[in-house]
Amino acid sequence: MNTISAYRELTDAHKLQEMRNELEGGFLTVIRHYQAGILHRPERIRQAIRENDPEQVAMESHSLKSVCRQVGLLRMGEMAAELEALGNSGILDQAESLVEQLVASSVTANHELTHFCSGAALPRPFFDKGRQPD
Amino acid sequence: MARILIIDDDEPFRIHLGTLLRNAGHVVLEVDCALHALDKIALDPFDLLMTDIFMPQMDGFELLSTLLRRHPRIRVIAMSGGGTGMTPNLALNVAKKLGAIELISKPFQPGEVIRAVDRALQADPT
Repeated sequence: MNTISAYRELTDAHKLQEMRNELEGGFLTVIRHYQAGILHRPERIRQAIRENDPEQVAMESHSLKSVCRQVGLLRMGEMAAELEALGNSGILDQAESLVEQLVASSVTANHELTHFCSGAALPRPFFDKGRQPD
Repeated sequence: MARILIIDDDEPFRIHLGTLLRNAGHVVLEVDCALHALDKIALDPFDLLMTDIFMPQMDGFELLSTLLRRHPRIRVIAMSGGGTGMTPNLALNVAKKLGAIELISKPFQPGEVIRAVDRALQADPT
């Protein structure tokens, strides 16, 4: 877990704006699909941990990692990468606390993405780059 | 304008790529697995296929081998963010050896995707 950045923000507004420019009218549809993945995959990872299924943990975490990196959710991507590594190692001892962080982050990220899609700027604290988390 | 088939088990990527390529003027069909791709290709001709590598049931490597045996002139772009025990570069290099003519790493850059598609469509499919 030491490898996960201490950046406060989850979402990258520049990346999202870039996507909005590239996708034009299709942006909302695309981002809604990413949001669904961001919300549901952590729950599936949590379920796989409860069932002590490292292979499933690795597979779901791998997919979530890709999805997060694509939309600029780098901190969540790091958490997913860590969970993927734990899944691949077959040892899930540390996975439970990490997945709880991931689930909480996914809820916040989803909220931020919805906020961005509404056309409003993201709340200021999410962009306080470099500040340590509470 | 080309007819393009996207094969990826991750729905957000399929939708994202499909939207990008439709915006670029192409006709795009998306499927979630290699087996569905083989069914579609048997029914309709496509100018280009874009396939993920790591997918359940049949992976992109097997799809490439099967496809190029059945349709040696088909153009394929392979895409990957890596998989268990395999970096994206290694996966894409294997895909190239199997016959993919362009390679895209995930996360992808939209401009890179459009350029790779343009190059693939201009390439001689022999």
